[in-house]
Amino acid sequence: MGKLTELRKFSFSFVCILFLALAALPAFAHHGTSGYELDKIVTVTGTVEEFDWSNPHAVVHITAKNDKGEPQSWTIELGAPGIMARSGWSKNSMKPGDEVIAETHPAKNGVPSGLSATSTILLKFIVNGQALPSR
Amino acid sequence: MKKFMLTFALGALVLCATPSILAQSSSSLAKAGAGKTDIPDLSGYWNIKGGSPSWDPADLQGKNPENLPMLPWAREKLEAARPPFGASATFDSVNDPVQKYCDPPGITRLYQYPYEFMFIQTPDTVYILYEFSRVWRAIPLNKEHTKDPDSTWMGDSVGKYENGAFVIDTIGFNDKTWLDQVGHPHSDALHLMERLRRVDAQTLEVEITVDDPKAYTKTFSAKRTFTHSDSPLTEAICSLSEMQAFQDQVMKPTVAAPKK
Repeated sequence: MGKLTELRKFSFSFVCILFLALAALPAFAHHGTSGYELDKIVTVTGTVEEFDWSNPHAVVHITAKNDKGEPQSWTIELGAPGIMARSGWSKNSMKPGDEVIAETHPAKNGVPSGLSATSTILLKFIVNGQALPSR
Repeated sequence: MKKFMLTFALGALVLCATPSILAQSSSSLAKAGAGKTDIPDLSGYWNIKGGSPSWDPADLQGKNPENLPMLPWAREKLEAARPPFGASATFDSVNDPVQKYCDPPGITRLYQYPYEFMFIQTPDTVYILYEFSRVWRAIPLNKEHTKDPDSTWMGDSVGKYENGAFVIDTIGFNDKTWLDQVGHPHSDALHLMERLRRVDAQTLEVEITVDDPKAYTKTFSAKRTFTHSDSPLTEAICSLSEMQAFQDQVMKPTVAAPKK
C-alpha cells in the first residue's frame, strides 16, 4: 500500500494563502466564478476517470478518496480548450487511469468540484509525476 | 520539354505581375485613408489579457453597475439581469443571453472575452474575425450607412482610417445583447463608435463610445488594450448542446447542495 495509498488519499490541505493579486484580476470565463472559493486551494490526489477536452470548458473527473478512505468523485473545471492549448495543454495532457495530483479552487457549497483554470488562472497539475504547464 | 516551357512561362508571368499587383493593392490601400501613413497595420492576432467586465469608465470592475445614468426602463432591465460578473454576479440561473442561449455576444462584449480576434484589411473593406462564437464583421471603408438598416446583432458598420486609427461607426443594432459582462443593457438606438489604434508593435488599443439616448442620458467612452499573439484562432463555437452538457456536468452540482 504505502506510497501509492498515501498519494491516492484525498488530501484536503487548504492552503490559506490569499492570492490578493490573483483575486484582483477578473478570472474570465463564459460564466462567473462566484461558485468557487478563489481565495482557497485544495489538492486532489487520485486517478483520472475522464478527461473531456471540449468547449465551453475542458473538464476532468478524478476519483480520489475522502477522509474516511471512501472513493470520492471530483469534477474539476478547466479553461476552454483553445485557451488551454495556448498554455501548452492538449487533448493528450491526461487520459483515464493516469495518476494525478491537482490543485483546485473548491466549490463554495462543499461538493467535490473545483475550478483550476480560467484565462488568468492555471493551477498545478502533476500527471504521472510530470508537471503540466501552470502559472 | 513542352510542359517545362509552359511551367517556365507561367512562373515568369507570375513573377513579373506580382510587383504590379502589390503596387496596385498598396495604392488602393493608400486611397482608402487620408494618406499611406494613416493606415494602421492591424495584422496578427489580438488577445485580451485579464480585462475588466464593465464598460462603465468609472467602474471597470462593475462594482456599481447602477451608476451609469440610465433611463428607467434600462435601469429595470439592469436590475433584472443575472450576469456572470460584477456586483450582481450569479453562478447559477443566469439570464445572460450568451450563456443561456448562445446568443451572439454583441460587439462591445466580444472585446471582453478572453479570446482573440484578427483583421483582414483589403482596399475597400476591413473584416474582423472573432474567435469566440466565430462571428465576423465586414466593414466597408469610406461608405455611408445603409439607409434605414434592419436591426441586427452586429449592426450596420462603416469604417475609415483617421490619423493612424481605424474608426468604425455602427448603428442598426437589435436590443437583445448586453453591452458588457455585468448586464448593462442597450436599445436599438445604440450608436457605437470604435477607435482602434496600434499603440506599438505588441499593443492594440480599442476605445469605444456608447451613444444610446433611448437608454442612457449621456454618452460614455472606455478603452481596452490587447496584446499581439502568434497563436492562430481556435474553434470556440458556442454550442447550446455543449453549453447544456457543461452546465449539467459542472455548474448544477456546484450549486446543488449547500455547504453544511
